[in-house]
Amino acid sequence: MTKKLLHKTSKVYLLFSVMLLIVTAPLFYYITERLYIEETDETLILHKNEFVKYSLPTLKNADIQNWNKYNRNIKIEPFKNSDKDTIFYNSYYDALDAEIEPYRELNASILIEGNPYTYSARINLVEKEDLMKSIAILFLVIISLLLVGLFVITKRLSINLWKPFYETLNQIEKFEIDKSNHPKFTETNIEEFNRLNNSIEKLITKNTSIYHSQREFIENAAHELQTPLAVFQAKIDTLIQNADFTQEQYKMLSSLNDSVSRLNRLNKNLLLLSKMENDIYNEKQTINLNEAIEKHIDFFTEQAKAKTLIIKTEMKEAVAVKSNPVLAEILISNLFLNAIRHNVSDGQVLVTLSNHSLTFSNTGQSQTLVADKLFNRFSKFNPSEQGNGLGLAIIKKIADQNNWKTSYSFANNFHSFSVAF
Amino acid sequence: MKLLLIEDEQELANSIQTYLTGNSFVCEWANNAKTAIDKISTYDYDCILLDLMLPDGNGFEILKELKRQNKTEGVIIISAKETLETRIEGFNLGADDYLTKPFHLSELLVRIQALIRRKNFKGNNLVAFNEIEIDILSKTVRVSTKKIDITKKEIDLLLYLIGNENRVLSKSAIAEHLSGDMADMLDNHDFVYAHIKNLKNKLKVAGCSDYIKTVYGLGYKWQND
Repeated sequence: MTKKLLHKTSKVYLLFSVMLLIVTAPLFYYITERLYIEETDETLILHKNEFVKYSLPTLKNADIQNWNKYNRNIKIEPFKNSDKDTIFYNSYYDALDAEIEPYRELNASILIEGNPYTYSARINLVEKEDLMKSIAILFLVIISLLLVGLFVITKRLSINLWKPFYETLNQIEKFEIDKSNHPKFTETNIEEFNRLNNSIEKLITKNTSIYHSQREFIENAAHELQTPLAVFQAKIDTLIQNADFTQEQYKMLSSLNDSVSRLNRLNKNLLLLSKMENDIYNEKQTINLNEAIEKHIDFFTEQAKAKTLIIKTEMKEAVAVKSNPVLAEILISNLFLNAIRHNVSDGQVLVTLSNHSLTFSNTGQSQTLVADKLFNRFSKFNPSEQGNGLGLAIIKKIADQNNWKTSYSFANNFHSFSVAF
Repeated sequence: MKLLLIEDEQELANSIQTYLTGNSFVCEWANNAKTAIDKISTYDYDCILLDLMLPDGNGFEILKELKRQNKTEGVIIISAKETLETRIEGFNLGADDYLTKPFHLSELLVRIQALIRRKNFKGNNLVAFNEIEIDILSKTVRVSTKKIDITKKEIDLLLYLIGNENRVLSKSAIAEHLSGDMADMLDNHDFVYAHIKNLKNKLKVAGCSDYIKTVYGLGYKWQND
């Protein structure tokens, strides 16, 4: 699955942030708690030291009851059999709040007038919980804000940073080598993108010039061939006027004659293709296809007679399309010709015209053709056929120019060539 | 009839001259624009065959020169250029016909004949050959003054055959002539046989002599025995 570049980086950022939160939040809580407990313990020890230093020397046995009466958090209790100071957690029922609350308690043994007692000081930890909660929430809020901010900034920044890249991408996507819409890249202040743009520009310029010179070559070659072909044709026309040929010589002349007209057609078709590539036929009009087909039917019916083919047309509705009129005629003629040329004797040609497509179906050889190469130049299925291998390429080229789609199918012994508008 | 052929390709010019000479045509040849303009200024021609790409200039210049000198010669452009624009420009500058190279010499000949007929047209546009009389305007054919039933295409074929009297016409030449604009589409010339057969039959039924001879393997020939 492909995703946008920004999504990918954002996703990584987001994942990192969430993971950071998950890991650091408990860690932070734990550390804060530890710090707080340490602080509490230190306070307890401080209180005890103060007690030992200031209160204990003047304390009498008789004062213990009063002491305990007025001090809630520091009590003097009967000796609990422990010499060392101990600090521990404890819970007491708080009558005011009517709940059990956590406390940190310090027990130490003291001597009052020679009698051992246990000094017990405690600090309520409820405050600690509140504080910790506040700290944790604050921490969370700050970290979240930080992450969101970071996320937004990087996103914004990325969009800005990658903008030239997307512009370049757009330009390349629109680029077609046979059209004259050369991409114009704007200068950016990012070195990598400038490098990218420069290399793409170089690539395009080079390829376009190669493409142009190739196209020119085909056009020039076809054009230059016309004069020698004209001479060839004229010489044959002159030569056959001689009366005294043997049958063998007549046969040779005849095949020479056929070859020169084939060469001629090939050349004209090549010229046609290069003209189309040079956008000579770019003017479009609305064309009534029914009329265009009817116009050619007589000619092709005549052509079909040699193979005793039956041409049937199925045109229920009037269909108008936008196309160059010359190209539309060439398209129809080529479809007709293709259906006749590759047909078998006593076969059929079925022309179906509907609002969205034109289909020529014909009988022919009984196996399906290799569809993917069919519309390429000079891809002849049967090399001995008379066609020059350009007919379908021309059909495809004309369809492309009008943004139509060509397709081939084989069913019920009928080869169908369709052009979808 | 005097023709001027303006064409820089010598081999082609030779063939055209050879083919046209003898059809009551005299064909002069200029291989560059300068000679052509000299000749045009000095003589009158019935028809000018003009190549557009000349070593010392563009054929269109010659058309302009003709206009400037108020010459009324019929002009057939013979060119390898075949874009619609050059055609239109040619016609706008006064050319009468346009033939794209390569072409059959027989085709050139009937185009010249048709052009001269149109130019010299004096009320009737008739082509006659012995007992056959073709009225080009009304598209009718009479054999010994009797009108025969004939299609447009057969008239076209008949004119083509008569125009190229005593010349061997290859099947491909006939096919291309009959197909007009569709000629480039042809890859089978068998339909020519059917047309020749029909025409032959119709002429025979009308009591016409059999002028159409078959040339083995190659084509046909209109011959007056």
